[in-house]
Amino acid sequence: MSKTLLKCLLLASLLLCWSYHCNAIAASTTAHTNNWAVLVCTSRFWFNYRHMANTLSLYRTVKRLGIPDERIILMLADDMACNSRNKYPAQVFNNENHKLNLYGDNVEDDKRPDIRDFALLNGLYVKLDTTVDYRGYEVTVENFLRVLTGRHETSVPRSKRLLSDEGSHILLYMTGHGGDEFLKFQDSEELQSHDLADAVKQMKEKCRFKELLIMIDTCQAATLFSQLHSPGVLAIGSSMKGENSYSHHLDPDVGVSVVDRFTFYTLAFFERLNIYDNTSLISLFGSYDPDKLASTAYYRTDLFQQRLEEVPVTNFFGSVMETIHTDSAYRALSGKDSSKIRTCLSLDQSVHDVMQRLKSSDVRRQISETYAMDQHGTCPFTRMRSIFNEKMDKIEEIDSLVNCGLAVMFSLVAFSTWLSR
Amino acid sequence: MAKREEPPKAKPRLLIRAGILIITHSLLVSVICCTAGVFALLLLPILAKNTYISENALLPGSARSMLSPHEFSDANKFVKEISSSNVEPASTGIETPRLIAQHIADLGGEVSYHKFHPQLNKFHPLHFFSSPDPGIVQVNYSCSSYGINTVGIIRAPRGDGKEAIVLVTPYNSLNITPGEALSLGLAYSVFSLLTRVSWLAKDVIWLAADSRHGEYAPVAAWLRDYHAPTFGGPRKPNAEICGESALYESKANQFMGSKIADHFRRAGTIAAGLVIKVADRSVDITRDTLSIYAEASNGQMPNLDLINTVNYLAVHGQGLLVKVEKFWSFLHSKWLKVFGEIFESVGKVAKSLNPQWVFGISAMEYIEGTATLASSLYNQALGVPTGPHGAFRDYQVDAITMEISPKLYWSHKAKQAEVFLRGGRLVLLFPFKTFMLVEGVLRSINNLLEKFHQSFFLYLLTSPSKFVSVGVYMIAFALLVAPLPVVAASLYSDANKRGPTSVKHKLSSSPISVDEAHITFRSWRWLSAAKTVFIVHLWGAVVTLMPYFICQLPNCTPTTSLLVWVSLSVFGLVVLHLVLGSPSAFVSASQPQEKEWALLKSVTVSAAFVGLCLMSVINFATAEIGALLIVPMCLMALPVRLNTSAHKFRAVARAAFNVVFILVGCPVVAFFMLKGVFEGFKNINVGEFWFWVESLWVWNSATYIFICMVHLPCWVLCIYILLHPC
Repeated sequence: MSKTLLKCLLLASLLLCWSYHCNAIAASTTAHTNNWAVLVCTSRFWFNYRHMANTLSLYRTVKRLGIPDERIILMLADDMACNSRNKYPAQVFNNENHKLNLYGDNVEDDKRPDIRDFALLNGLYVKLDTTVDYRGYEVTVENFLRVLTGRHETSVPRSKRLLSDEGSHILLYMTGHGGDEFLKFQDSEELQSHDLADAVKQMKEKCRFKELLIMIDTCQAATLFSQLHSPGVLAIGSSMKGENSYSHHLDPDVGVSVVDRFTFYTLAFFERLNIYDNTSLISLFGSYDPDKLASTAYYRTDLFQQRLEEVPVTNFFGSVMETIHTDSAYRALSGKDSSKIRTCLSLDQSVHDVMQRLKSSDVRRQISETYAMDQHGTCPFTRMRSIFNEKMDKIEEIDSLVNCGLAVMFSLVAFSTWLSR
Repeated sequence: MAKREEPPKAKPRLLIRAGILIITHSLLVSVICCTAGVFALLLLPILAKNTYISENALLPGSARSMLSPHEFSDANKFVKEISSSNVEPASTGIETPRLIAQHIADLGGEVSYHKFHPQLNKFHPLHFFSSPDPGIVQVNYSCSSYGINTVGIIRAPRGDGKEAIVLVTPYNSLNITPGEALSLGLAYSVFSLLTRVSWLAKDVIWLAADSRHGEYAPVAAWLRDYHAPTFGGPRKPNAEICGESALYESKANQFMGSKIADHFRRAGTIAAGLVIKVADRSVDITRDTLSIYAEASNGQMPNLDLINTVNYLAVHGQGLLVKVEKFWSFLHSKWLKVFGEIFESVGKVAKSLNPQWVFGISAMEYIEGTATLASSLYNQALGVPTGPHGAFRDYQVDAITMEISPKLYWSHKAKQAEVFLRGGRLVLLFPFKTFMLVEGVLRSINNLLEKFHQSFFLYLLTSPSKFVSVGVYMIAFALLVAPLPVVAASLYSDANKRGPTSVKHKLSSSPISVDEAHITFRSWRWLSAAKTVFIVHLWGAVVTLMPYFICQLPNCTPTTSLLVWVSLSVFGLVVLHLVLGSPSAFVSASQPQEKEWALLKSVTVSAAFVGLCLMSVINFATAEIGALLIVPMCLMALPVRLNTSAHKFRAVARAAFNVVFILVGCPVVAFFMLKGVFEGFKNINVGEFWFWVESLWVWNSATYIFICMVHLPCWVLCIYILLHPC
């Protein structure tokens, strides 16, 4: 009897928790806490140079606008910089004027790379400071979906994971060769619009984002958005159904097309911006001229609650960062984040599993609360410092303090010289 | 009688009924199909599609040329040196290779010499389809007969060294012509550019082929050695003795002794081969032209993408006039003009009915297309490569020959010296374009990621930018060949149907057991016909082998050789008929002969069908041309003495047609007819046929086997049917 009661109670609490969780999503009360970017180039081969250049250009742009490297998942299906056909070894350009080496270490600096900047890895020279997270044949539909949904093998390092939370704004940029409701990966497999929509839905349910901007530069890009129906998703594609997405220009020196039109004009838009700009998304979306693009940029806003006029582009292309002061490396998460993360549970797990976790999380919460309460007692150094800080704050006459200090120091010096004699 | 029996039986299935219907109307079917086949062949120039570059990786023309006047003037200097070195009286053919090697070494490329002796162009019946044997040892070669290829290799700076592109410039080291010198200069300038570039992904091999034994032999020899690595000690001891002393102990070599390797140098798998020639002949046209030769042995073609790339770069990049071979005599043909005009007007009418039906081409275009198509078909049917590129195809490498006929240089002979001396911008007019063309093609191939595979391998060209793919030209052949099995089936069933009535008449009085035995015997009667056909085909095989022995006869002029061959063949046929043919005579004596010829024809037609179909797999063009000759001949063949109830006039007309078709069907007559049509009947020598056939077997052409083992037996059998005593 008591067992069933307990079960009922647990179920009720679970339901409560779930409804709260749903409310949280619907109201999107969570604050925008961080920014992530997933940049994917899906095509191989030298003649697809432009796709890698597109992705690297976006990489530099979001980096410049403030998303740190560890929050950018960069997937490049091939390595153009080290391709033997590349006239400029270890350099990638997105413009025939060659002003900006996308593979260089500094955005502004156009210095030629030194061989010492490279490491020989699997027979390929790999730029040491470029954090390509998924490279070459690692860029598969499976890995892409794993990154989005966060279901990794245990051995996958943190740097290869999208560790976003329900306060994250994510920019998902993809480029490659596409068609009606699919995007080709690696010349061998396809990502279909269903797959993308499903992954986004899972992300939403797992509270992996607050807002998601999907930007796709392929032929018939708009068709990839047709299956999306998760709230908080904003999508923009380079072309409508039946339209091709064209390259912008050919670099006769390198011998290939170096950038696609849609990406080129996106970059041109961002060239004018800095971290502090307040330009809205609608001005970005409005900046695409169908004549220049030779295709119609299509954007889908029906899943997005806010008005585009009010959303600055830096919401996705830049970064907010809540700086959390941590006492030590290991306790940082437990105090603030873990309880939050735990309340937001994946729904695809069995009820039993959920209940168990619920119990453990309750226990952990209690622990963390007690921990927070007697935090002062546990760490004497922190306590001392905080007391000192408080006292320092209370002192009003800084000048007198300084004078006293000087007098004390003087007397100390005099005393020590007298001693040493 | 049969019809009355049908209703109680279950109705045969649709397919069988259709088959029976076709067989019963075999005459109509064969007339329609043959006409349609010939018509479809005439229609091919209209059905030709524009070529397009199918492989994305090629990116032709997307890169800017990096050649500068500097390279050009260097090349001019080089050409001058080559020309002057060769003028020296004591020319032993070593100076030029040494000079080339010196220059390559100076550029920083790897150099090696490749010494070879030409393989005797002999008919080896046992080695017919086998690949060239690297182990063939030849004897009795004097040192002077060795050719010396100079091979320069540039390693791709960041490539994996697994692939290579070959650039071939054939030249005669004993007597170098200005055109050859110029082609060497062209290759030199491109080579010197490539030593400096950083974008190579494939190694580049420059083969300066010594063409003192013909242009094909050095390339074939080099490719053979390239693909047959030998390990261990020196392979050709006598080669070392001969060439070494002259080549390596020379003064010039002291400087660069270490750079020139004395072993065979290799690079990766060959991705493509480009043979570059500059024409010596003055072509009286106002533009620089580029002729493309692509046919390799047995009608194999390089991938269409290679031709497309060259054509695209030449036309759109450099503004050259690109040509492929065509039969010039066709251009003045009145028949073709009539056809062209008819098709043009039909196209116009169709366009006026519906503006979207655009299929007509102008009469002039049609004639040009037909002339090119005929040449393409003929060259493929011949099975003889049209240039040194043919050697590459034996190793499944795509290769073409690009022959450049400059306008300025050759049309103003007076300025020849000027070209060599001045260099610089003023005289860049001619070669610079072609230099850039070669560079562009190389860069395009360098972009390839895999072998050429994207575009067609089976096609006929109707112009440098138009092609007919296999799916279209198959139709003409299929229509031509389709009546053969139908007629064979109908003749066989007729022979068996008519059999019983006549047999019953004769054997009405005989006992039943004998009659039954006769019936079972009758159903196997075709065996005797098959035996006759088999014997004749066997004879064909013997005829195929005869030239091997005739070649051994000393002091034979072509005409006498041909006569010996023909007389031996006839003698062989008579002997075979006497020895093996007697049993069939017994059978025919016991059987009513009326059906005998029908069965014989039925088997002959079946054999021709099988032969043509097999040939279409090996060399489609041969089968197509063969079908044009064989099919009407086989279908028309009827005994002259066949007493039908028809009018006398009809019988005479039929016999006349028979004779004409059989006359035309004779391989020798067909050859001279075609030759007469294309080149005029003026100077025809009987020996030419011998030469022609000789060229076929020397090049291991399957066409030779087709002519001797399919065409000739069919022809003999048709004569046999014609003279059959009814």
